[in-house]
Amino acid sequence: MDYIKHKVPPVREDRLMACQAYGGTCGDLSKDSKKGCLYASKRTFSQTQGCQLNLSLGMISSMRDAVMVIHSPIGCGGNLIQNAGINKVFQKLRQESAVGLRWINTNLSEVDVISGGEAKLRQAVLKAEREFRPSAILVFNSCVPALIGDDIDGILDDLQKQVSAKIVPIHCEGFKTKIQATAYDSVYHGLIRNLVGEDKGSKPEVVRTLEEEAEHQAVISKTVNLLNVGSMSRIDEEELVRLLKALDLNVRILPSYSHPDDFTYAHEAALNVSICATHDDYFVEHFQQMYGIPYVMRTIPIGIANTNKWLRDIASFFGIEEQAEKLIAAETAELNKAIEPFKAEFKGKTAFLTGGEVRILTTAELLHNLGFEILGLRGYHFDKYGEILLDEYLEDVPNSEKAIFNIGSGQVFEQANLLSKITPDLFVGHIGVNGSAAKQGYPIFPLFGQSDDYLGYKGVFEVATRVSRILKNPAFNKNLGSNTRLPYRDSWYEQDPFTYIDDSASVAARIG
Amino acid sequence: MSKVIERPRYVCALGGAIGTIQSLPRAIPILHSSSGCGGNLAGALSGASGYNGGNYCGGQALPSSNVSERDIVFGGEGRLQEQIENTLKVMDGDLYFVVTGCMVEMIGDNVHAVTKRFKGGELPVLAAETVSFKGNSYYGYELVLETLFRDFVEKTTEKDAKTVNLWGVVPMQDVFWKGNLGVLKNLLKKLGFETNTFFGQGETLDNLKNAAKASLNIVVSDAYGIEAAKVFEEVHGVPYLTVQLPVGDHGTSRFLRTVGKALGVDDIKIEKLIQEERKAYYPYLERLADVYNDLDFQRYATVVGDPNYTQALTRFLADDLGWLPELVVITDILGEEQKERVLATFGDYESGLRPEIVFDEDASSVGGYINRHWPQNQGQKYYKGFAPGVILGSVMERDTAEQFKAPLLPVTYPISNRVVLNRAYAGYTGGLTLAEDVLSLVVAHR
Repeated sequence: MDYIKHKVPPVREDRLMACQAYGGTCGDLSKDSKKGCLYASKRTFSQTQGCQLNLSLGMISSMRDAVMVIHSPIGCGGNLIQNAGINKVFQKLRQESAVGLRWINTNLSEVDVISGGEAKLRQAVLKAEREFRPSAILVFNSCVPALIGDDIDGILDDLQKQVSAKIVPIHCEGFKTKIQATAYDSVYHGLIRNLVGEDKGSKPEVVRTLEEEAEHQAVISKTVNLLNVGSMSRIDEEELVRLLKALDLNVRILPSYSHPDDFTYAHEAALNVSICATHDDYFVEHFQQMYGIPYVMRTIPIGIANTNKWLRDIASFFGIEEQAEKLIAAETAELNKAIEPFKAEFKGKTAFLTGGEVRILTTAELLHNLGFEILGLRGYHFDKYGEILLDEYLEDVPNSEKAIFNIGSGQVFEQANLLSKITPDLFVGHIGVNGSAAKQGYPIFPLFGQSDDYLGYKGVFEVATRVSRILKNPAFNKNLGSNTRLPYRDSWYEQDPFTYIDDSASVAARIG
Repeated sequence: MSKVIERPRYVCALGGAIGTIQSLPRAIPILHSSSGCGGNLAGALSGASGYNGGNYCGGQALPSSNVSERDIVFGGEGRLQEQIENTLKVMDGDLYFVVTGCMVEMIGDNVHAVTKRFKGGELPVLAAETVSFKGNSYYGYELVLETLFRDFVEKTTEKDAKTVNLWGVVPMQDVFWKGNLGVLKNLLKKLGFETNTFFGQGETLDNLKNAAKASLNIVVSDAYGIEAAKVFEEVHGVPYLTVQLPVGDHGTSRFLRTVGKALGVDDIKIEKLIQEERKAYYPYLERLADVYNDLDFQRYATVVGDPNYTQALTRFLADDLGWLPELVVITDILGEEQKERVLATFGDYESGLRPEIVFDEDASSVGGYINRHWPQNQGQKYYKGFAPGVILGSVMERDTAEQFKAPLLPVTYPISNRVVLNRAYAGYTGGLTLAEDVLSLVVAHR
């Protein structure tokens, strides 16, 4: 992978042949994915979803001591408004002096669309510098400036000479891709190009004696970058740090809630540790290529099986397998005893999960281990990383090939139809689709949350206790189920849930 | 050149249009836009509006053509037609309304030509070009109303002297819109009129469809909905009156007199109603007689937000509560003519108060204006600043309030640190609710 020299990263449709519309079973998907014919499918009826800009902001708006500039008409980045004034609480978990969200919208008007938005972009960056003196100014580019052809990189290069904040362009025009996860690449692309590495022009090189250098290298040889793009809570981070420290490793957490300076020496690490390929493959591959730093990225440490896999991968890199096995044995013994009562409680219960491909497959394995039968999954999208995990899942969870697998971000009409047919005891969902399932009366366990613990061994126990609590009294959603209505015709529920997925292109590919 | 804005308190015309349509009973918005537009706006519409949620069809349920690069190159009209056809099959609504994002406008898709093909079908399909770079949420609200008044409200020669229409309270942007509309409807009922508010509790699309029978359109705003009122007058011949959002006795009594007079209600009847309402209002405030005075509850206040609320809150604080709301920051994008009209609503106080009014869209500016109005301590021994002070604004004033160690009551958009269901601040009852909320802040930390 070598896209860093380009101004803009490729979209996931092109880079990973990611699929965004599919309906079938886990077994079908595993087979179809290997044929490589999923990419071209589309929907003839669709509901809205998020965009690259949206997810980019979700991923990096938590950066401390930074100001965001959104180069767009006034509505883009609108999701930030709901976090203005409350986001500070989460930033403070990392640094007491954190300030709340700060952003400037360039408010492109019709005049700007005709004559170009470049002057407004300058105005916004200079305003960010003048009013807030931040360490970094993150500039997000929306659909409109892309279409009118603003020379964003040229202007920002020029502005960098005038401001002391580091300027980070993040190219994330929404219309370029239907795979929102392209946002992760856009953000990492900007961070790698602009924040990683010392600015030798402005800072003198660090001079170390031989002993100091040896000590420095020793620290580096035990340092891992743990990547969090927003789907790990602070409690999750603490659990993973606890496990990595038990293996005598130093942990640097990037990029959520980080400070721009945290990136300067990010390349001084022995290993990059990801919890999700959907998030991090772009970053870790480039780091390997540019700085020779290897990575671990197979799975997310959710559930016992996947936490064990994750730890073993890391330990094998450092050659400390024995130490890891001891840790795993001690942790799993203690945990298994603690979750025993839940297994009896959950035996025979059924669940349906929706969210990112990596997260749902591992969470499904966790719930299976707790006694649930998994009836179906809905992934945001699907690519080669999902394929590997799905095959492991099919091995780990007996009889899972018949479970439903549906692919599509949002598309709650498909979800509503599916749920009406397979009626699980528990719905596990990502933010955005839970309200819809709630109105159908299902008890809902949120797939992740900024204040809760899901990862590592502690996460297994926490998930079990919360699921148990939620199942104990689902009255609120039951009441909603009996007294509200989703905005779909009765006739829709009688149809095949995948009626509006047009996979004629992939059928053609299969035949051809 | 329009200004760049630091933390805007509104989204684009598309966002305002979606918020307006999804607040109509059984109406289904159809987005013809890039795939992310609806998702991007969802948090602003539901999360930032006191957790207003998506109503019947909002959030991720919004049908959207989700155009992407290929459609941008080849045109998105075909995709829109397919999307409308299938939306009619899947989505259960009584009114379908196509709204557009920036990209389809820039590539020149003709949405009206596409929706025209659905004319005369069983279900009404309307369309408005809610071009986002032409205006903000309020502009979107205006465009949707104009389209509804032109293309959905049925023409009639039949007039009903006892029916009026009322708008200008913008769904979502007024976080308390639903409660407020209910209060205003009740007040007009007491004057002897039936009111269509279109978005209020218990209304159906028939209220909107038959709105041309009304004898007067009441626009409760000096900034929003006026262009739509002109369209209504032009198409259906119903005149309009603009009047300010009323909160508390002084605001509401003025409201009743203005509206009553325009409707030809007898002065005696209006004054009788006002007296009755006051008889119910002041016994509640009377309960505060001891505590307000024993504990010296008078406060300085800074009011931040849109023109509808800032004028209402300032009058309530000054004339009903006897406070000193000396500084008002209006955060909307307004034209010169609008500014003048809005400025005129901040006068004529019974208490004789003359607040300083500032127009500034940037959220971080508020602290600076407070410092300027109540100069900062320069290290002097005897010093009088913004104390005791209270800020009435939005959740965006949280940092400013912390900085000045002043309590904050979020009343204006955005609000994400309160949950709002049927709470209302309008009218006499709303004034009591506001008194409860703002004085609770003062006693909460005793």
